[in-house]
Amino acid sequence: MRRQVREIYEYREMLKNLVAKELRTRYKGSVLGFLWTFFNPLFLLIIYSTVFSFVMRVQIENYTMFLFVALLPWNYLASSVLQGLVSIVQNGSLVKKIYFPREVLPLSIVMTNLINYLLSLLILLPALIIFKVRLTPALFAFPLILGVETLLVASLVLLLSVANVYFRDLEHIAGIIITAWFFLTPVFYPASIIPLKLKAFFYLNPITPVIESFRNVFFYGTWPEWNSLGILALGSLILLFLSLAIFEHFQKAVAEEI
Amino acid sequence: MEKNSINAVEISDVWKKFFICQDRTRSIKERLIFWGRQRVEEFWALKNINLSAPVGKTIGLIGRNGSGKSTLLKIISRILYPSSGEIFINGRVSTLLELGAGFHPDFTGRENIFLNGSILGFSRKEINLHLKNIIEFAELGDFIDNPIRNYSSGMYMRLGFSIAVHVKPDILLIDEVLAVGDLAFQEKCLARIKDLQKQGKTIIFVTHSPAQVRELCDLVVWLDRGEIRSFGAAEQVVAEYTAFLGGAI
Repeated sequence: MRRQVREIYEYREMLKNLVAKELRTRYKGSVLGFLWTFFNPLFLLIIYSTVFSFVMRVQIENYTMFLFVALLPWNYLASSVLQGLVSIVQNGSLVKKIYFPREVLPLSIVMTNLINYLLSLLILLPALIIFKVRLTPALFAFPLILGVETLLVASLVLLLSVANVYFRDLEHIAGIIITAWFFLTPVFYPASIIPLKLKAFFYLNPITPVIESFRNVFFYGTWPEWNSLGILALGSLILLFLSLAIFEHFQKAVAEEI
Repeated sequence: MEKNSINAVEISDVWKKFFICQDRTRSIKERLIFWGRQRVEEFWALKNINLSAPVGKTIGLIGRNGSGKSTLLKIISRILYPSSGEIFINGRVSTLLELGAGFHPDFTGRENIFLNGSILGFSRKEINLHLKNIIEFAELGDFIDNPIRNYSSGMYMRLGFSIAVHVKPDILLIDEVLAVGDLAFQEKCLARIKDLQKQGKTIIFVTHSPAQVRELCDLVVWLDRGEIRSFGAAEQVVAEYTAFLGGAI
């Protein structure tokens, strides 16, 4: 395990270059180019605020922001999983020709999406001020929550990317599961409307405390619930070690299976 | 991994098995339908390979097509893992299986030097150090700042080769890529390899050219159907091999 982590660290230059490549080439050829990174969340915001102010009135006060603060970290998870899942298979020609720690491929996708999420904050924060959401010192908990989410996302993407080499159906299943997962997570509804009977079941969903914490610090201006976040942090850390070990075991035959 | 100061690469009792499926079934449906009826054949690509490559020596791998030369190179470079047996590597390995693997067509030559160099495991500092030499050696001139999708295949190969031989690996593995570019460039490649030899680098390469073997190699391994048929001084093994080929025809 220590050798594995050290080797990933030794290839940090490759990781950095792959992230830069992803960020640069994603919008290659489009007129607005890199600006799309900002336009995507901005247009999302405009659409939601229009729909929920004029078309569909929701009881929740300031629903646009209520949704927006949770949707952005959810998108970070969803796009990391969907893109990361195929990262090894798509780079098959590289994997067959050059040795490098294979972890770099899925991790570069996670980092790219992390950076995209951080950039979307440049839209979120002004929007919060415009929509008159009170910003409080609870925002200082933000890096911590993001850290926990990143641990979770990285473990998941590591596992799925190597699993997809052996079981390609994952690519097709993933889209459906992500959609189901979205509805099972309190992103567009508050956790308080979940029936009491089902509540325990909803909290088995590891992303729920993360989304709730983001909403607490950005929207309600309160500190996250430290208990559930702490347990999740510990669980994610264990999951990451587990994922690395599983990845190490299964990556050996990856060049043959692609 | 264990370190051994005398040998750059030590291969002990390595076997490599491939499964050859007649019809590759992957989906659950197909697996259920063809349960127990899948024709999977075992194929031993490498059998009982024992080999040591002393530091600073150049070793040639010869043999007919399908004799396991490339598989052996891939195992040494850790792209493939042996089914059984052990490999010890002492130093940093750079592999030349395919030139320009990992190039991005939209990036310029210069950007690709950094991208490709980092995939080979080198830091930005190391690449910067050799940047001028890499560009010069590849003879790309002003094209270096053009996207490489505009490159001719020769230019593409030359850049790939140039990167791999300039960032200083301890061990260089080369798979039949010495036939790059025109004759003048090939001469330059050979000269560069000789340079690396003088610097004490260990080189293992696959070739079909007896002339190259005689010119470059200290030791030669002759692989035949996954087994080492002969291992020794270049002159002697090449003679055996050509005699064998003569007999086969």
